[in-house]
Amino acid sequence: MPLIPPSAPEREEGNSRKRSEPHTESRILAGAELRAGGRQERPCGAAQRIGRKEGREVEAGRAVPEKEERSEPSLIHPPPRRRSYVPPEDLQSCLESHVREVFGPSVPQDWQQAPLQENRLKHRLLARLAAELGHAVPNSQLHRMRHAGDVLGFYRSPVKDGTKIDELAAAELPPNLKIIWQQ
Amino acid sequence: MIRAGAAALRAWSRGRGWAALSTAPPAPPAPPEPRREEPPAPSPVLRSCHVPVSPPLSPVQAWVESLRHPKDTLRGLADLHPDVFAVSPRLDILHTVATWQRNYKRISHARVRTRAEVRGGGRKPWRQKGSGRARHGSVRSPLWRGGGIAHGPRGPTSYFYMVPMRVRVLGLKVALSVKLMQDELHVVDNLELPSSDPRYLLELARVRCWGHSVLVVDTNEFPENISAAAEGLKSITLIPALGLNVHSLLKHQTLVLTLDAVAFLEQRLLWHDSRYSPLVPFSLPHRDLPQPPRAG
Repeated sequence: MPLIPPSAPEREEGNSRKRSEPHTESRILAGAELRAGGRQERPCGAAQRIGRKEGREVEAGRAVPEKEERSEPSLIHPPPRRRSYVPPEDLQSCLESHVREVFGPSVPQDWQQAPLQENRLKHRLLARLAAELGHAVPNSQLHRMRHAGDVLGFYRSPVKDGTKIDELAAAELPPNLKIIWQQ
Repeated sequence: MIRAGAAALRAWSRGRGWAALSTAPPAPPAPPEPRREEPPAPSPVLRSCHVPVSPPLSPVQAWVESLRHPKDTLRGLADLHPDVFAVSPRLDILHTVATWQRNYKRISHARVRTRAEVRGGGRKPWRQKGSGRARHGSVRSPLWRGGGIAHGPRGPTSYFYMVPMRVRVLGLKVALSVKLMQDELHVVDNLELPSSDPRYLLELARVRCWGHSVLVVDTNEFPENISAAAEGLKSITLIPALGLNVHSLLKHQTLVLTLDAVAFLEQRLLWHDSRYSPLVPFSLPHRDLPQPPRAG
């Protein structure tokens, strides 16, 4: 029975399975296995045995990738969940000008105490700030913005778009620890 | 030549500079660039809670976005009822409801034969005393190879049980609150898409950093564009608001609600806070209910 060359995912999982099960039958060595230093092929006398076991391996190969994908956590870098933001230098003056523009004459003495109870004014102010600074207040923080001072405090804090693992990777690691994302 | 030179000098003095010295015919004046008049910003979509919020609670809020353009995220501001979207994060209730959802439909069909059901084994294999072997009464007892199983599964077994309606309702409220507080909830005014291309939806989700999976909820029928686009996609799911459940909320990373869906959920979930206990199960017809409640 002619041996069926394995497809790409079966090749990779065949590699990982070979490391764990050293006694599996050999198959036609494809590119990845040759690079990984595949083992010698069996002599022709054992072709029938190889054929049957190959069939089982191929079937198991189709079933195992799903299990392997489910059991092992994904090593591909996840997409960023937030955009990074760095507060500009003139944040306070910029904010003050926007508050005075939106509120008009009804701004209290201390502009930071300007109340944001009315949704129309709040939306106008926050939309303008988001358009100008490129960073919008997330939904979870919207209910905390009651005065202009809260908005100022929010826009003062910088935001990073990396995960904790990216921060670790950028920090100084001991020489025997490497962090690599799978591409 | 002198006239040309005088004209060039005049052009220089008028400010054309070195370009005035070139003998090429002067380029016709460029048509004035049409002043890009920015379209007047549409009036913001503001939504307030239909059910009154009693103090000291105050409503939580969310941006109202639009799906017409990937950057159109600040269309308006919606007030969300705190008793639905800002309850305390009871993880034990989430676990209870999610486990119930997994198990109440389960029927395990595993069944093995006992010593009475295995074929054979009616006769005593050898006499009680004198043969030298251990005493046995039947060749199909659980001690024997090929014998019956003593305490095996005796299916089909049902794992059906019901969690009280108020706990299921609280589970939905907790799940919605957790989604809002983790920035995974988005409110959309309606589900109009400019095209029915699935790539547009994926691009939108990528630009807005929505994550791996998106659950889109609406009360009415879904428009054609979005249903055609989401049909081929595995990461974007559309469900009606009646089908909202804790397992789907936990399974998908982002939740997108329309304003209609928000109103529907608030009305249905808040009704349970102030209803009487049923004298007769709600599944039977009642005259005085706002809508017939659904179990689960």
